[in-house]
Amino acid sequence: MTRILTFSKALNEAIQQEMEQDEKVFIIGEDVAKMGGDFGITSGIWKRWPNRAFDTALSESAIIGLACGAAVCGLRPVAELMFADFIGVCYDQIINNAAKLCYMYSGKASAQLVVRAVTGGGIRCAYQHSQCIEPWLMNIPGLVVVAPATPYEAKGLLVSSIRSNTPVVFLEHKGLYNTKGDVPEELYSLPLYQANVEREGRDITLVAAMSMLNYAKRAADEMAKDGLSCEIVNPRTLFPLDKETIINSVAKTGRLVIIQEGPKFMGYGAEIGALVSEDIFEYLKAPVRRVTSLDTPVPFAPVMEDYVLPQYADVLKACQDVMAF
Amino acid sequence: MALSKEQLLKVYENMVLIRRFEEEVEKYSKNGTIPGFIHLSIGQEATQAGIIEALRETDYKFPDHRSHGAIVLSSHPEDRKNIMAEIFGKKTGINGGRGGSMHINDLKVRNMGFNAIEGSTVVTCLGTAFAAVYTHTDDVTAVFMGDGTLGEGTCHESMNMSATWKLPVLYCLVNNQYAISTHYSESHPQKQLASWADGYGVPNEVVDGNDIEAVIPAVERAAVRARAGQGPTLIEFMTYRWQGHFSGDPAAYRPEGELESWKEKDPIKLTKTRLMAAHAVSDNEIKIIHDRVEHEIADYIQFSLQSPNPDPEDGLKFVYADREVEGRK
Repeated sequence: MTRILTFSKALNEAIQQEMEQDEKVFIIGEDVAKMGGDFGITSGIWKRWPNRAFDTALSESAIIGLACGAAVCGLRPVAELMFADFIGVCYDQIINNAAKLCYMYSGKASAQLVVRAVTGGGIRCAYQHSQCIEPWLMNIPGLVVVAPATPYEAKGLLVSSIRSNTPVVFLEHKGLYNTKGDVPEELYSLPLYQANVEREGRDITLVAAMSMLNYAKRAADEMAKDGLSCEIVNPRTLFPLDKETIINSVAKTGRLVIIQEGPKFMGYGAEIGALVSEDIFEYLKAPVRRVTSLDTPVPFAPVMEDYVLPQYADVLKACQDVMAF
Repeated sequence: MALSKEQLLKVYENMVLIRRFEEEVEKYSKNGTIPGFIHLSIGQEATQAGIIEALRETDYKFPDHRSHGAIVLSSHPEDRKNIMAEIFGKKTGINGGRGGSMHINDLKVRNMGFNAIEGSTVVTCLGTAFAAVYTHTDDVTAVFMGDGTLGEGTCHESMNMSATWKLPVLYCLVNNQYAISTHYSESHPQKQLASWADGYGVPNEVVDGNDIEAVIPAVERAAVRARAGQGPTLIEFMTYRWQGHFSGDPAAYRPEGELESWKEKDPIKLTKTRLMAAHAVSDNEIKIIHDRVEHEIADYIQFSLQSPNPDPEDGLKFVYADREVEGRK
């Protein structure tokens, strides 16, 4: 049965249903047990499983290190980074340890952990609680970066991330926590490494993840008024990226707009643009456009933050530009 | 506590084996056959052999970058030639040549390998200790760290958490005096680094790391406590590396005469003297041991030299547990 749930509740349901299924799953992090997490994502879990929910000291390296060690012993840790920005203090454990263990152990064991990390801007928390960290992780073979956009994806992708034998950094955009959508009550999973074509179209391909998907949908609706159809590709897994779905889409439409929260320089939009120009240059009818944040830290004051983050109007303009080229 | 004659003979042979292992590694590194850089544990054999002797095969072991000795002794005798081949970067290496000297692991015997960043395994080891508790086994986790490692912030996070949760961790602090060129007295305020654990209420002791009859009981005491749910222990083994930080480092930062004075405390010589004096072991018995080791080491070297290089595409394997990585087109 499907009902309307928030993104937050969908995540909570994913963890609880996996914990019911598999006693190797446990949660660990700062304030994740008794309090249920700073954003309430793990609420109620400690009450049901007091021996499988662990509040820790403020020790991100120890949290992720412990999760790595427990994972190679066969457990399935779900660790929380209260804010993705805190990844700086445990970066070594993620990039030099989690990402390398399968390689180091020749596949005999792997860091099958999930690091849930709260990402993104828009809630007026300034530059150390608002960053999009995905490019920091997407140059590290061995890691998987998952980025759900809807409550349906939040549940299905978290379930597959927990079951996956790879280390997953699971990004939860804080701007999405209160969004609502249809979520099946039963346990289900969505495949990793597969993009989803949200909407088919023939004129422009819009690539958008997480909270940027809503801008893509709005822009597509607006362009439709002029008789233009946009194809929307939601990567779902940012790394390793489903290149094929993007390439196939752009080969069909000939135009590409990438909507990416986070600084422009060396963001994943650059990689997608390079990919398209390398593989299907001859199909392009217009230059690739990127709509991104500006190359600044995220400022606090609302007028400044809105100026720095990509806005809907920027997306619409980029769509019009590629059509006018 | 003195060891029995049999056990002392066994660990003597183990120490000779790992000394000879390292000497051969040094030789083939210096002549360019072994690629990359290597860190030798010559002079530290009593600590290396003693820690492994005191542990069970099912205990988790996180050796560090200067732990060829402990790594060799952890593995089954038939797998030891593959450890040498790994250091040579050969296809027959125990990890397929992907890791080399600094990443040797053997999950069969719970050698969990070294993540070659100082202080990194000091937090990873929390996880195996945690898993042992979570799954109700009495396996303990021993993590090797050096005097230099203690400068890393992860050591604080690790000990804070293991002490709070009473995790079965043995912090094996191998104090070989120098972090590359920096003597520990120049980088740490404690006279004896073990006392660092006092701040966490963690039992700690200082042991003569060149005396295997001191090393083994100290590790056993810590393991007993850990298995009984009484939490972590830190043991500081005082020892000395005879070589520089890496093979080829002339170690000019050491005061004159220091190396010679430590060579007087050679753990192998010390054990041999005891075997002969206290246990009436003959020259001939000693010679038999050395001959056996020579034979063994010659096998490892021959195997490594004759083994093929890995296929270049072997580097594509095992990046992910569930997907392939594209090769060159």
